[in-house]
Amino acid sequence: MNQPQMEILSHDILVIGGGLAGLRAAIEARKAGKDVAILSKVHPLRSHSVAAQGGVNAAFNNVPAPVQDSCENHAFDTIKGSDYLADQDAVEIMCREGLDRVVEMERWGTLFSRTEDGKIAQRPFGGAGFPRTCYAADRTGHNLLHVLYEQVTGLRIPVYEEWHALSLVVGEGRCIGILAFPLFEGKIVPIRAEATILATGGYGRIYLRSTNAIINAGRGCYLAYQAGVPLEDMEFVQFHPTSLYGTNILITEGARGEGGYLVNVKGERYMERYAPHLMELGPRDIVARATQREIDEGRGFQGQYVHLDLRHLGKEKIMDRLPGIRQIAIDFAGIDPVLDPIPIQPAQHYSMGGIPTGVDGETPLPGLYAAGECACVSVHGANRLGGNSLLETLVFGKRAGKKAASIVRGRKEALPPSAFHKQAEAIRAGLRELSSRSGEESGFRLRDELKTLMTHRVGIFRRKSDLLSAKEKIRELKERFGRTAIKQNRLAFNHEWLLHLELEGMLHVAEVITEGALTREESRGSHFRTDYPERDDERWLLHTLAYKTPEGTRLEYKNVTITNSPPKARIY
Amino acid sequence: MGTSVLTLKIKRYHPGKEPLRWTETFKVETTQGMNLLEGLLRIQEEQDPTLCFRYSCRGAVCGSCGMEVNGTPLLACRTPVERLLKEPIRISPLPFFPVIRDLVVDMSPFFENYQKIEPYLHEKPAIPDREHIMTEDVRKAIDPYIQCILCGICFGVCPAFRREASFLGPAILAKAFRFLLDPRDRRGKDILQSVDHHRGVWGCNTVFRCVKACPKEVPPTHAIVRMRGKILKGHCARLFSRFSFLLRILS
Repeated sequence: MNQPQMEILSHDILVIGGGLAGLRAAIEARKAGKDVAILSKVHPLRSHSVAAQGGVNAAFNNVPAPVQDSCENHAFDTIKGSDYLADQDAVEIMCREGLDRVVEMERWGTLFSRTEDGKIAQRPFGGAGFPRTCYAADRTGHNLLHVLYEQVTGLRIPVYEEWHALSLVVGEGRCIGILAFPLFEGKIVPIRAEATILATGGYGRIYLRSTNAIINAGRGCYLAYQAGVPLEDMEFVQFHPTSLYGTNILITEGARGEGGYLVNVKGERYMERYAPHLMELGPRDIVARATQREIDEGRGFQGQYVHLDLRHLGKEKIMDRLPGIRQIAIDFAGIDPVLDPIPIQPAQHYSMGGIPTGVDGETPLPGLYAAGECACVSVHGANRLGGNSLLETLVFGKRAGKKAASIVRGRKEALPPSAFHKQAEAIRAGLRELSSRSGEESGFRLRDELKTLMTHRVGIFRRKSDLLSAKEKIRELKERFGRTAIKQNRLAFNHEWLLHLELEGMLHVAEVITEGALTREESRGSHFRTDYPERDDERWLLHTLAYKTPEGTRLEYKNVTITNSPPKARIY
Repeated sequence: MGTSVLTLKIKRYHPGKEPLRWTETFKVETTQGMNLLEGLLRIQEEQDPTLCFRYSCRGAVCGSCGMEVNGTPLLACRTPVERLLKEPIRISPLPFFPVIRDLVVDMSPFFENYQKIEPYLHEKPAIPDREHIMTEDVRKAIDPYIQCILCGICFGVCPAFRREASFLGPAILAKAFRFLLDPRDRRGKDILQSVDHHRGVWGCNTVFRCVKACPKEVPPTHAIVRMRGKILKGHCARLFSRFSFLLRILS
């Protein structure tokens, strides 16, 4: 059958993802005078950035402290927090440029909380030696995202809302655009772009317990992986110590920054035994492990959760600094933190790994850039500090937008359409085949099995036997995935098909995480092997790179960039 | 607590299908602490993959899942099903907006109005590379209006649209007020002028339905009433100055 001539869209730069990193990149490209568009599977304001709570780090010294804070201190805390796996040159850039990016957000209208003298307020956060985290009550992500979207509106940057990216298109060794799918229109639309920027966020939903939005399934990472780009350091998965028991909605680290206690069933502030100096404000990997250990060893409530107690902060402070947390606890757990402690348990929260990039967002594939959680610069190494992810989106979103703009030569119309057409036909054929299968397996069941597997076998505590069985199980799930089907064969509104494509990506991302975790025989940051409980710099001071092959994942390793902070023991 | 069964009567709409509109009843087994969004997701997964609705954060911060439940617009993720178990629940799309399919509505009327007020800070000149200085009191005054998640629920309950279809709407006027209160914005009176008409603050019925319905406790009517006050005060001041000018000439 002859396809009618497909419409084809062209932009200098196409940004995929409408969260903080994507919007910031688009703004920068627009300000450089380029024709940039944003494509997002949800309206940009529905992106997961909106759920960020606690704040964004920058060493302003707005709050009196015994010693002066500095970019160097911020960089050191970040590197130590990363368990020395972060690339130190990138961390230094982030900490230096972060100051300007945060001021810029204030100047664009972000309603930051204020100090007594009217400057941006800062609160203590985990793993940091200073009150460095700038905040807008406990809705910092909401405030930042709405302000960036306002800027995008003002700059009249076009947004393809509720359009999905089906695949990256590669021609002559460059990314030359994508195939897009507007869900409501039922067609596949090629979008040519001289530069494509992935800003698609994380993959939290491959875990059963995750703080992430339902939409975070790692599709962007998979798009790159599928196109031959490796994924870096994917075994480093951040588990947040405090997610609301039941729904696993995030309860910000800011709650501890404001003075909240973690308490076990015996009424003990158990962090005394794990991080005697920083206590509840230890870095996330340490507090999450401590919390899980308390629960596993029978010191949790109902064997499931511990308490985050805010009552001693008083109603006024809770209402002023943590109103969102209070609302979440009331809405989703029926508990008012002014009167009762909040039941919390650790849950997957963030991906330190992702698409490898340089400090300007450039990936190994020319024409392709990445920024934000889907990217791995790497500034977080093996464990991210709270308040550094929002910072990363702003600093490296801008840098990626600027770099992408600099390579545009006004040749978007010259990019050959043939590669797009060929790939679109393959995708259509895939959909036809999929909907003609008998389908003895259910995609949803496979997805739920995968999620349970990842939480229980590739979670906070890992060991060889679990990882081997997880690897085996993922292979089985991939094989069963080949026997799933979908009922609808048309394109328009085919949500079922999108979930199928999403599951394909989830299986591959899970495989990469598991292989990386199995091979890395040490414990570093968030990656904790009970059978190798020590960090091993001799063998493993290396970044993992995972490549997609027909047989599965192939791992390579590369060196970590160290500038001023040679690895030391990590004590808090 | 054991499981019980939730009955949902969902208004369906599929363009191109015959019939175009119908109401379909689904039954879902509930689990402890389940919310309405989870119930809908379960239907989509286990019973009918063609059922369409929007979702994202499942934590009442993204504004995706506004819909009407037993005649009341609300966020599905923020609605526990426990209190809905007694009788069948009627679910329909968010009122006011054109329906695209099932519970998915076209939000473009909302965002077109949003754009009309130029909803971004028009910054006053300030010292380069430094933040503006702002007191906590000023921040707290703006804060209630910043909580808006642009979910569109207030459009769904607002009776003013019936009289004036081109009314800017509660969330949009709250947004305008947010910039008016912000000492960093240079527009001041221009904002008031841009809402001083029957499509703006004078279009509101001041019946506070938006305030009651807002899932984030934003009070748009308060913003509207305060802008009306400021506008009237401005008019009076102008009249007075003209009058005194006239008096001066005459004398």
